[in-house]
Amino acid sequence: MTKKKDVLLKIRNLKIQGYSNESWIDIIKGVDLTLHRGEVMGLIGESGAGKSTIGAACMGYARDGTRIVDSVIEFDGMELTTATEAERRALRGSRIAYVAQSAAASFNPAHKIIDQHTEAPLQYRLKKRLEAQEDAMMLYERLRLPNPKEIGFRYPHQVSGGQLQRAMTAMAMSCRPDLIIFDEPTTALDVTTQIEVLAAIRDIVDQFNTAAIYITHDLAVVAQMADTIKVLLKGEEVEEATTREMLEHPKEDYTKSLWAVRSFESPQRHRPKDGVPLISVRNVDAAYTGGAKVLDDVSFDIYEGMTVAVVGESGSGKSTTARVITGLLPPSKGEVLFKGKPFPADYRDRTKDQLRQCQMIYQMADTALNPKVRISEIIGRPAAFYSGLKGVALKNRVDELLDLIELEPALYYNRYPPELSGGQKQRIGIARALAANPTFIVCDEVTSALDQLVAEGILRLLDRLQNEMNLAYMFITHDLATVRSIADEVVVMQHGKVIEQGPKDEMFQPPHHPYTDLLLSSVPEMDPDWLTTLLEERGIDNVGDAASARIATDDPRVSGTGA
Amino acid sequence: MSVFVILYYTLLLGASCLAAYYKKRSAFLLLFSLTLVSFILGIIGGVAALRIVAISAGLLGLSAMVSYAFREFLIMIAPRNMAKELRTAPLTAAFGMFVIFTVAIAGIFAPFIAPFGEAEVISSAFAPADENMLLGADQLGRDMFSRLVFGARNTVALALAGTVLAFTLGALAGLLAATSGGWFDQVIARTSDVIMSIPSLIFALLMLSIFGGELANDTTSFWLLTGFAMVTGLLVVSAVSERSVMGWVIGLAVLAGVSAVFAGAMLILFNPSEIILILVVAVIYSPRVFRLTRAVAGNVVVMDYIEAAKLRGERTWYLIRREILPNSTAPLVAEFGLEFCFVFLLIAGLSFLGLGIQPPTADWGSMVRENATLISFGDITPLIPAAAIALLTVAVNFVVDWMLYRSSGLKV
Repeated sequence: MTKKKDVLLKIRNLKIQGYSNESWIDIIKGVDLTLHRGEVMGLIGESGAGKSTIGAACMGYARDGTRIVDSVIEFDGMELTTATEAERRALRGSRIAYVAQSAAASFNPAHKIIDQHTEAPLQYRLKKRLEAQEDAMMLYERLRLPNPKEIGFRYPHQVSGGQLQRAMTAMAMSCRPDLIIFDEPTTALDVTTQIEVLAAIRDIVDQFNTAAIYITHDLAVVAQMADTIKVLLKGEEVEEATTREMLEHPKEDYTKSLWAVRSFESPQRHRPKDGVPLISVRNVDAAYTGGAKVLDDVSFDIYEGMTVAVVGESGSGKSTTARVITGLLPPSKGEVLFKGKPFPADYRDRTKDQLRQCQMIYQMADTALNPKVRISEIIGRPAAFYSGLKGVALKNRVDELLDLIELEPALYYNRYPPELSGGQKQRIGIARALAANPTFIVCDEVTSALDQLVAEGILRLLDRLQNEMNLAYMFITHDLATVRSIADEVVVMQHGKVIEQGPKDEMFQPPHHPYTDLLLSSVPEMDPDWLTTLLEERGIDNVGDAASARIATDDPRVSGTGA
Repeated sequence: MSVFVILYYTLLLGASCLAAYYKKRSAFLLLFSLTLVSFILGIIGGVAALRIVAISAGLLGLSAMVSYAFREFLIMIAPRNMAKELRTAPLTAAFGMFVIFTVAIAGIFAPFIAPFGEAEVISSAFAPADENMLLGADQLGRDMFSRLVFGARNTVALALAGTVLAFTLGALAGLLAATSGGWFDQVIARTSDVIMSIPSLIFALLMLSIFGGELANDTTSFWLLTGFAMVTGLLVVSAVSERSVMGWVIGLAVLAGVSAVFAGAMLILFNPSEIILILVVAVIYSPRVFRLTRAVAGNVVVMDYIEAAKLRGERTWYLIRREILPNSTAPLVAEFGLEFCFVFLLIAGLSFLGLGIQPPTADWGSMVRENATLISFGDITPLIPAAAIALLTVAVNFVVDWMLYRSSGLKV
């Protein structure tokens, strides 16, 4: 991997400052970066490490409220910090391209995909419109999008997330740039779709000998993509090495801790021999108003003190099941039993005590906590609401809860959510659920918006709380590593149906239902050759959507559904 | 060549050279182009034109200094959190706050500031300014300055009362419609559509001619006020009590009492015809507030924390008060400022047409109309109340601009 090539991008002593509290604060504190032609560099680190800021700086761009100070950013011999805005703009899109995290949010919904694709080549007068369109179709074909001739003429909302992400990669390629910056392109995708995008990106970067900067917080992903890896922490470089060396012999402690994250595993619990399940979902069908059936005959049990992980790709009905249990979406058929007694279908008909039993922790802690309310009230309100605590007793209860989630009460009591980090916010969300003294908590993708280190902290916390308070969790996730570490039982869902369910140890042993098999094999591993091997095994056209569509219904393993 | 002209050019040239020397590009461009323009102006208009330029520049500089000093003053006396916000205020916003502050003082302490009463005839009609009368006399020989000061009180108080009522009704309905949705939302939204479909000035003229004559007495306005308060209160009661019968009974009883007290208090503050005006304004403007509030609250209602609160079993009133309202105050406050301007202009306009505030009560709008004849004699007296209206409107907008800018989340 150490072929001597031309230096494409040279960044020396990169310093970026952000304006906050009436003064300029260093966000990036002197990072050096050298990228050769055709080389892929992975930037990893937790959120707030400055990955995306560096990515933007590679284009000579500083976001609103930030500025680049006395740094050297040299792109192909051209100094970007002293270049005029017009000169820099001429580079963007044509020689440096950017692929954003959420393609769904980054495409303009009012224009067809191909019109957005051809905008840059037309703007720079590199191609005529028809040529550009033909080129786009060629790129779509290379990226293995279905119907390459036709897909560009659809609007962004008519195309699935993974396809949109590939279309965006194609768009970045439209002017054959020298450098592409990928800013977490697969973070928002399911594992099964992620593979397709990863394979497509790697393929196309290889073919056109494009240099790339790949920003992510997922180590296993970066291991597949990058030639060299640079680890960042709080705006400073921790270390840089080639991928293999980095994976095998990380030098710094921080890097080692990143590598060790996936080691946590909670001991598996088993169902009590004879007992009534705490929550029992019985033959539930559900649909949103006027829509098609989202849940189709879903049944499973959750026993006291146990964790049931519900896995499946997005749209498989995981979150809808949670909404049925909490009463936000009354089922059209079937019922939910709580300790053997039927739970009123609509949350408005439930008594205070029934509401108290069943709490939720949300995926996005940002939207789950009211930004204008103090932590003391966020946590204190459920405590006061359900048990009528007041004054000193209430304050003691809040302090106790903050202690439980390992946050110093005196420091956080009077703060507002925007002043906290993502992990801390998620902890507050957990404390709010605990404040009600529940017996059952729905955890809806609680760790998927967090960095691995922080996510592990949350998982350990949840596990400890479960042991201390005998809580039952319904753990909705698409991340199988999370399932491996915390679940006792697993329920696999696809297209609103339960495909397979059973205790964790059985579920991770073959034989699987083909869909489970697909899910399991799609989880990236730390081995840099994993993607290559997988693609060789399965064939390039048999990953992701294509593979799940290909699961034969008459497969003997399909009929063996159910635990 | 007078001393003034020499001084004028020396100052301008000196300042432009200094700016050029210290490489202040925009300052130099401004100063030097002003110098060049002044050469031509001096030739065409003579010393008088230059004097006007100098005076306008001086005024601009003075108001900038006042704004700056006023902002620093506010920062000093405000508590720490407020001071931090205030420091982000541009000079225009500080100027706006200063004008609002001045008008508020003039309005509140009108009887102490004004040298004469608002209806007191002290000289001949249209008498020019002398040491007794700062701004001369109006068409009946009343002191213009005193009437201006009292006008601040009457016009602004009316506009403020109208806006507050419009806001209470509109915001409550909007919040409730966003939280409950369904038929309630539909009914309120369609009602507001109906009101908004009638041109506001014509609607105001219609309402005022219905309630303006015989009906403008204490009894009618008392019942109208009570009715308005009941409608607004019903929204609150429905949010607080929801499905509990006891809640409704107690709520309605409390509401009846509060409405009566409110109507009584308003009758002490304003006379019947003013109350009619306030209510008309409130009815015309509440649909706009409703629209905005509903849209803003609609964005908040879909957040997960609202779902969490609903699942906890919280009442609608708690949702509105603690969860939704704190997250929608910024646009609402900005809207309040804007609506205040519109209401203020509407009342001034109605008074100009002779339908708003009745004489002899001083009011900026009617002052313009009453003195309008004077403009054909080249006197600026009728422009003074007009300028007061313009100044206050601009000032409020300056402040609102700053708030909108802040709430839009733009940086640096």
